Amino acid sequence: MNTVSRDEVRSMMGDVLAAQGKPLPADELTPLVDIGFRSLDFSELALRVEDETGDELNFDAPGLRRIETVGDVLDFLEQLQSA
Amino acid sequence: MPEYTPIPPASCVVVSGASRGLGLALATDALKRGARVAGFARTVTPELQALADAHPDDVHVAAVDANDSGAVAGFLRDAADRLGPLDALVNNAAVGQDSLHVHTSPERIGEIVQTNLTAPLLLTRAFLRRLTARGGRGRVVMVTSVCAQRGYAGLVAYSATKGGLDSAMRALAREMHGRVLVNSVAPGFFASEMSSVLGGEQLETITRRTPTGRLVEADDLTPIVGMLLFEDTNIHGQVLTVDGGSSI
Repeated sequence: MNTVSRDEVRSMMGDVLAAQGKPLPADELTPLVDIGFRSLDFSELALRVEDETGDELNFDAPGLRRIETVGDVLDFLEQLQSA
Repeated sequence: MPEYTPIPPASCVVVSGASRGLGLALATDALKRGARVAGFARTVTPELQALADAHPDDVHVAAVDANDSGAVAGFLRDAADRLGPLDALVNNAAVGQDSLHVHTSPERIGEIVQTNLTAPLLLTRAFLRRLTARGGRGRVVMVTSVCAQRGYAGLVAYSATKGGLDSAMRALAREMHGRVLVNSVAPGFFASEMSSVLGGEQLETITRRTPTGRLVEADDLTPIVGMLLFEDTNIHGQVLTVDGGSSI
């Protein structure tokens, strides 16, 4: 399976936020609630990653609920791709 | 006009998913109310086996996958041979879901539909064919969910199956006229299942939004299912929701 690097995912996350007129902060410890990045935004990002890799990234909601920061998003998508 | 004769109380109850939780509680309650019980699940837990061992003449249990219609038919045959005519069915077996629809694999959606909708429809069909062939009368209870009535994220396929079962229940109630009472019991969220996936804070929020202040326990359901199985209520083709008022 093709993988998308952490930097590329970060860039895609920036695109998702930019489409809503929001900036992606540099600090990976920034809480998602502070930048208005919601679960549906995470879905959009995951589906964009899927488009690049050509494989579905299916996962249960409990994993999603543990995501609180920008870094958590990047970590989770890295883990999903390597699973 | 012919004289009305009530559907008799259940005398031999089939319970799917009887090995633990609500299914085990319903099987135990039916036994306490004087019925014989035929319970199956994918695995027979020590608790279900203990129930069978304590009541060898009144309880028949077996490890049966609800998705294996041949095995289910064999179970019904064995249970009837051992306990006598089966006249009540509780469709309880189900699998849960906790994933957004767009991130749930097609295979998983298929499994949920198979286990929660197709399997109970086939079990009900097999049960009713036996009952009808001998001119019997009886009762069917579908354990569905408040998810069939309200939208909850992460439960798309699950909700579809429970709504489908409620719809099937109403159509069956028409098909069986007054010969078989068919109803659904729709629980809200169980404290146990919610606490397994949600954090303490989320659990507290949901509980706070429930007017009675408490999530559902199996003991909340047993009197309702017991009423539908044993009492002469004239309730037919209905969904009885037990959710502490959270859906109002």
